[in-house]
Amino acid sequence: MPLTAAPKPSTQVACTHCGDDCPDEPIQLTGQPELHFCCHGCKAVYELLAASNLCGYYRLDAQPGQRVKTVDLPGRFDYLDLESVQSQLLAFRSPTLARLTLTIPQMHCASCIWLLENLFKLNAGISESRVNFLRKELTVSYQPAATSLKDVVTLLAAINYEPQITLAELGAQPHAASRRLYYQLGVAAFGFGNVMLLAFPDYFSFTEGLHAAFGRFFGWLSLLLALPVLLVSARSFYQSAWQGLRQRYINLDFPISLGLTALFTTSVFDVLTQRGPGYFDSFTGLVFFMLIGKWVQQHSYDALRFDRDFTSYFPVAVTLLTKAGEQSVSVKELQAGQRIRVRHQEIIPADAVLRRGAGLIDYSFVSGESVPVAKAVGEVVYAGGRQVGEALELEVVREVSQGYLTQLWNNPAFEKQARPTLETYANHVGRYFVALTLTLAVGSVLYWYPKDPQMALRAFTSVLIIACPCALSLTTPFAMGAALRVLGRRQLYLKNAAVIETLSRADTLVFDKTGTLTDTQRSPVRFSGLALSRADAQRVAALVSQSTHPLSQRLAAHLGPTDFVLEEYAEIPGQGISGVVAGTPVRVGSAAFIGTNPPAMAPTEQQTRVYVALNGQPAGCYDIRSQYRENLPALLRELGQRYQLALLTGDNDAEVIPLRQLFGAGAELRFQQSPLDKLAYVEALQQQGRRVVMVGDGLNDAGALQRADVGIALTETLTNFSPACDAILEAGSFGRLATILRFARDCRYTVLATFLLSFCYNGIGLSLAVQGLLTPIASAILMPISSLSVMVFATLLVRYAAHRRRL
Amino acid sequence: MTIIFLLIGISLLVALLFLGAFLWAVRSGQYEDTYTPAVRMLFEDEPEKLE
Repeated sequence: MPLTAAPKPSTQVACTHCGDDCPDEPIQLTGQPELHFCCHGCKAVYELLAASNLCGYYRLDAQPGQRVKTVDLPGRFDYLDLESVQSQLLAFRSPTLARLTLTIPQMHCASCIWLLENLFKLNAGISESRVNFLRKELTVSYQPAATSLKDVVTLLAAINYEPQITLAELGAQPHAASRRLYYQLGVAAFGFGNVMLLAFPDYFSFTEGLHAAFGRFFGWLSLLLALPVLLVSARSFYQSAWQGLRQRYINLDFPISLGLTALFTTSVFDVLTQRGPGYFDSFTGLVFFMLIGKWVQQHSYDALRFDRDFTSYFPVAVTLLTKAGEQSVSVKELQAGQRIRVRHQEIIPADAVLRRGAGLIDYSFVSGESVPVAKAVGEVVYAGGRQVGEALELEVVREVSQGYLTQLWNNPAFEKQARPTLETYANHVGRYFVALTLTLAVGSVLYWYPKDPQMALRAFTSVLIIACPCALSLTTPFAMGAALRVLGRRQLYLKNAAVIETLSRADTLVFDKTGTLTDTQRSPVRFSGLALSRADAQRVAALVSQSTHPLSQRLAAHLGPTDFVLEEYAEIPGQGISGVVAGTPVRVGSAAFIGTNPPAMAPTEQQTRVYVALNGQPAGCYDIRSQYRENLPALLRELGQRYQLALLTGDNDAEVIPLRQLFGAGAELRFQQSPLDKLAYVEALQQQGRRVVMVGDGLNDAGALQRADVGIALTETLTNFSPACDAILEAGSFGRLATILRFARDCRYTVLATFLLSFCYNGIGLSLAVQGLLTPIASAILMPISSLSVMVFATLLVRYAAHRRRL
Repeated sequence: MTIIFLLIGISLLVALLFLGAFLWAVRSGQYEDTYTPAVRMLFEDEPEKLE
């Protein structure tokens, strides 16, 4: 019987700390009746802040806190006292000062910044703490004599800003953003501005007297100002062109370098021989505009990381059981045969055999499956799961890097340099551009040389100058940069602008099932057993709302808020929870915990059961099933019209019939795929010449995501871990995938249209150049007009496409 | 008209000064976090607790 407990309109008070609804009798502070707390954890944080006069936290933003969920575990941060860990985490270390940068994904508002920068009031040993909000980083300096790293991290955990300290942070270099482009832009702007002022006398006829007197001086000064622009700002174009040449590959930067060189040498020649002022204004302007193009394209999402592997997820240290007792060791030193202890909420670092304890392992980061899997003594537990419940004793079977999951990263797909990127249009066009330019230049020399050798040289350099595809090089950055921002507003975050171009040319879409096609937040709950009265259902709700177990939280969300007060709450990890609600003892948990026999029909893999007993009598069980995302049939039908679809899942083929209906007859469905199988499948598709987009969410898709032309990682919350990929999509925007792909194709047409526009400018310029009519003034007019109009045209077209697609 | 040499010299000096200021700003990391400082300057000092 489906149970429908209609959710009441919330009339409850919000917790002062976190803003969650309070229970009917909120926890209050003595003497301050206006403050309400939903749990003792939140109250404890408030008291801690109040004692240090830090209540400004609550004034900046209403209810800024995070609900205190994790249970404190003794010894949890003991590994931070290890010398080897400290030496790798600390960026600076002396007897009087130590400094390190921590990643804190929980920070989300102005209050967070304020509190985290006032840490010194909570711990006198901390001398300074600075937040970088965009990167969600906190840089802490402390005095090692007065406090320790462990104390600092424990304090952060106590106020619920627990830093992420994982294997990846060990030995990682502090994040140094590239300042090079800013330096180059500054120098180019300086050169451009001043050279243009000096070139003014040439533009106007009434300044001829001035020119006669100072022309030479201005020429030399322009040369002096343009020199740093050539050496500093234009350097990256030459470097990129040279790199391409060394790989026997002509990219767009090659004709650019050619044009820039022609421009500069002609100008130097003109100044030296006093034939004219040269084209230094055009030269510096070109470099400046093209650097702006680079800067627009460089837009990045600081807080997101697109290069994470399992080390960003695995812990730094693990509790090793030795004859001498417990000992904290680095995960990297773990060897087969050793015994380790894994406590509640800790991650299993290596493939191991369960030796003691009831395993209940949450593999949501690995497979996307939100319901924890039960493991008994003697079973093999794969690395990557998170234990929920009592502490386990495990015997390591394989070293960390050789595990079932982690050996995925030994695959050649993860050698970043080896991976060929799809050629962008601009580079493709660039090659024809070079051929055409050189033909034209040689042609004009052949034409002019018999008549006028001077003119031949001039036409030759003019063609090289005007054929410099500067406007062309601006089309892609501006179109893609605008598209990047449009998609960012719709919760698709791309690693870089080139991803859009690749996305627009894809022809095959590969999906993972669990966590990608299924929605873990929306799994429906069905009750079977004795009919539960509304009051009984509310009693169960009162009990489950106190537990942090994922199944309890799912049930609590299903049952809605409750008025009952819970007493004598107890949680037996891995088994269930019990309590007394309004005089009735309630137990919720596994069949054995309730004291009932599991029904003859075993639940299928997609189904998890939670049993309920009231007054000591088994009352029935809740089935929690996985559910497909909203609008999935419509989305897949739309995508299926254009793309070849495929599904890869680690599950068995129990759901083959509904999936076949969803995907249609032409799609390939593969079941029981290991992480390596997924990677191999994507590779096989690519060898058939297909351009593959992989959509997945867990660590087990990491290989396929990396191998695919575009890997899109789906995530419920952005701050959560997502494996290495080219794009991160928020789960809420999954239904827009078809529109996003169509928009990507629109962007491709935008780029092509802007190419045409820039070719027009090149055509006009070339017609002038071959006649030898390209004067410095003509170039100084044509160059900024073409660059600016291309920038505006590309941006507007992309905006229009976004508007039409309602993005 | 020789005064133009001097004027251009001065204008270049001013421009160089601004270039130097920009390079210093980049060097000191002002372009790395463009959000937090804007929030930080709005924080008020906490009034001392009366004992």
